[in-house]
Amino acid sequence: MNNFLQRLSGITSFAMSTLMALVVLISLTTPFLPSNPTHAVQLHNVQTTTGRMMDPYDKTSRTAEYARLTFDVDADLSSMFNWNTKLLFTYITVDYQSSSGFNRVVIWDRIVRGKRQAKLKLRKHHNKYLLRNFAQTFESVEGANLTLIVNPVPYLGVMYDKTMSSVPFSIPRALKAGDKK
Amino acid sequence: MALLTSMFESGRIDFKGQELVSKLATFLIVGSALAAVVVGYSQHALSLCFYTYVAGVALTYIVVLPAWPFYKRNPVKWLPRKQAVAGNNTAPALVDSPNQPTSRKTLVEDVSDDEMDN
Repeated sequence: MNNFLQRLSGITSFAMSTLMALVVLISLTTPFLPSNPTHAVQLHNVQTTTGRMMDPYDKTSRTAEYARLTFDVDADLSSMFNWNTKLLFTYITVDYQSSSGFNRVVIWDRIVRGKRQAKLKLRKHHNKYLLRNFAQTFESVEGANLTLIVNPVPYLGVMYDKTMSSVPFSIPRALKAGDKK
Repeated sequence: MALLTSMFESGRIDFKGQELVSKLATFLIVGSALAAVVVGYSQHALSLCFYTYVAGVALTYIVVLPAWPFYKRNPVKWLPRKQAVAGNNTAPALVDSPNQPTSRKTLVEDVSDDEMDN
């Protein structure tokens, strides 16, 4: 610390180390900040139909069973916004067990960018994305759950999933052509 | 003006001053990190946290980097210079004698910032 440059060098490196410690402290304490979000998911209807993705450039598409859900969501996620929250990634998935193990299909998502948008009120929404089993039919599918998950994306730190609600239901099989109702 | 040059020309300070600098810098930087967390969390803004920290580091630079006079209050007391033994030519002459050409001063105690004030 004898001359100007030595002091500049030493103090600057100490300041950078302290900045690093500050960042680590902020990112480690963020998951423990309190929050009390309210959430409720209600499933109205599930319809299954067979169809095929008509894409003239893709000859590999096959006839498959597709399910269409109608659901309501009521949630107030504004308390999940702390000083380190950049946005909330909320999504709804259908989790089920099949012959190939545990499956999770995302059928709806939304990015919540502030407290103003944090009050979710969906009435009779359909799924944004198609619900189709990997094996083209829902044959070995059992124990389906409609789950609302929120993933708070921080400015500093690690992202993680927070499961909010889970509603069990069953996916009906589609009627084959020619079956009498 | 003489004060400014003595602060920045090489910025040398004595050892007690260096101790003081080290303590002050640690205290100020850790304090500004804690103040940054308090300010940022209370105002609910992460950007304010880092602006406060940068302001604290700038304040530390102002307090610590220039060689303020209060860092030079305990200058090092050097022992008096030994005279060369008369007639002995093995050691180089340390004293400027009228017969020898004056050599460039390179010993530390001969070069000081305060020579500018002469």
